[in-house]
Amino acid sequence: MQTQSSRWLGHGVYLVIMAILISGVYFAGQKIDYTWHWERLWPYIINTESQDILAVTDGTAKVDNSGHLSITPDYGDDPQIVERYDTLVSRNGDLIFQGDTIARLDGWRFGPIAEGLWVTIKISFISLIFAVLLGVIFGLMRVAHGQVWRNLAVTYVEVIRGTPLLVQIFIVYFFIGTVFDLDRFTAGVAALSIFTGAYVAEIVRAGIQSVPVGQMEAARSLGMNYVQAMAYVIMPQAIKRTLPPLAGQFINLIKDSSLVSVISITDLTKAGREVVSGSFAPFEVWFTVAALYLVVTGGLSLVIQRLEKRLSASD
Amino acid sequence: MIDQLTPPDSKILIKAKKVNKIFPNGCHALKNVSLDIKRGEVVVIIGPSGSGKSTFLRTLNQLESISSGNILLDQVDLTDKRTDINAVRAEVGMVFQSFNLFPHKTALGNVMLAPMKVLKQSKEDAKQGARDLLYRVGLADRMNNYPSRLSGGQQQRVAIARSLAMKPKALLFDEPTSALDPEMVGEVLDVMKELASEGMTMVVVTHEMGFAREVADRVVFMEEGELVLEETPERFFHSEHPRLQRFLGQVL
Ligand SMILES: Nc1ncnc2c1ncn2[C@@H]1O[C@H](COP(=O)(O)OP(=O)(O)OP(=O)(O)O)[C@@H](O)[C@H]1O
Ligand SMILES: [Mg+2]
Repeated sequence: MQTQSSRWLGHGVYLVIMAILISGVYFAGQKIDYTWHWERLWPYIINTESQDILAVTDGTAKVDNSGHLSITPDYGDDPQIVERYDTLVSRNGDLIFQGDTIARLDGWRFGPIAEGLWVTIKISFISLIFAVLLGVIFGLMRVAHGQVWRNLAVTYVEVIRGTPLLVQIFIVYFFIGTVFDLDRFTAGVAALSIFTGAYVAEIVRAGIQSVPVGQMEAARSLGMNYVQAMAYVIMPQAIKRTLPPLAGQFINLIKDSSLVSVISITDLTKAGREVVSGSFAPFEVWFTVAALYLVVTGGLSLVIQRLEKRLSASD
Repeated sequence: MIDQLTPPDSKILIKAKKVNKIFPNGCHALKNVSLDIKRGEVVVIIGPSGSGKSTFLRTLNQLESISSGNILLDQVDLTDKRTDINAVRAEVGMVFQSFNLFPHKTALGNVMLAPMKVLKQSKEDAKQGARDLLYRVGLADRMNNYPSRLSGGQQQRVAIARSLAMKPKALLFDEPTSALDPEMVGEVLDVMKELASEGMTMVVVTHEMGFAREVADRVVFMEEGELVLEETPERFFHSEHPRLQRFLGQVL
């Protein structure tokens, strides 16, 4: 039995250790020859500066009475029409060279890191849904009576678990993607779903097999067929048991999604790499990227913990 | 017309004919077992451990397939490939030694599930039926408890109510009181006695000799996969059969 006071003591010691660790990292950061520029990061997350609108060709500016701006190029092409702007920089009749600022847009917009975060969340979430689908189907096949089903499921699981995700992403993108004409994002989702699905299938199988055989016998002796028994008796119990390992697998999925940057999907990791070269603040960028991953995985953990609590009503 | 077509032995609900069961590992668990069970009859099966009592009981609702022979329920051959085995099982209830209640459902939910999913009863009807049954087995105040919050005796009574909810033609019991603390055996046996007095057809594997003596219409003794003896309780417990004598000497 743990007493109340020993628990508080434990929390206290933990806080001291964490404080030492964090200050250690902080002083290490101070000691190295590196000037920290956290403020440089902001524009890459949320950009509040006004955005320049540039001329695409040499030409002449034209502003009509209602304020519509367009550039008539010197050589016969279609004019460049500026749909929306907040501040006008050029005046009617100005000579414009390619790359000149002709107008500005105010207001904030998401920077590359925020956009990368969104891509990571989107790709992880869609992959998670397909992974669960694949996992349940192949998990059920794994415990089915037909030998064909079982063999197919074993093959899927072993092939996927036995090869690196990075290689799978390349195969899906370059081979399957070419055959079926998939775009990068779809190829990324497909690779992540297939990979995670194999692990989910094993978790589902273990969950089903952890339900005592008496449950299936009781359900069948009440006249339920196999599908009914699975749906109403076995799976509800199996799912409860699989939630903790599934949570771990979903967190892996979010982290593994960083590998899709190799097929030029600008997820959080790839955005980080791009921002590093633009901002000259590598440490800040990577700490921020790590923290953002932690927020996403932590949020998911929280959701699953809630779910577990809800399902534990019958314990 | 129909009456003329019905064979004279239609009083017989379950008929086992020369049933053999050989497990894949070669174990010959049932050897030419034949037994007729009439409507409303209570048959108790006793015998030493490993004699095939559970195996025989489980063949009666085809939880266990048989290697040869026939099993007929209401003249429907269960071993016939065209027989809808789910429909047969819906008509034969089974009560297990380890209760096997569904842990994710309340007592009420356990009893309601099969009537809703198999008999396609409405939720209201299933609930009403379940309430009545739980009331009958003395659990009116425990309907919303999950199995983990019920004692062994209460769980087994829920399990009996769950089987009864399907309005079965017969109930099979496999050592229903063996997993119970001694003080809870009585409450389960009382429910079973009441069912027997109401005319339920029951096949009961048990070590409760008192129950066999008091409730059974017939007692069956099995040993090493064979049905050795089949008698009324009075004659059974006075039998001079040497193999039975040896067994009773060990358990009494
Ligand atoms: N699934 C199985 N596979 C192989 N052999 C089995 C299987 N189930 C039972 N047996 C064997 O069949 C024989 C009969 O077993 P059964 O469970 O019917 O005995 P029982 O009379 O119910 O015994 P107990 O009183 O211990 O419950 C035993 O020898 C047992 O080892
Ligand atoms: Mg047994």
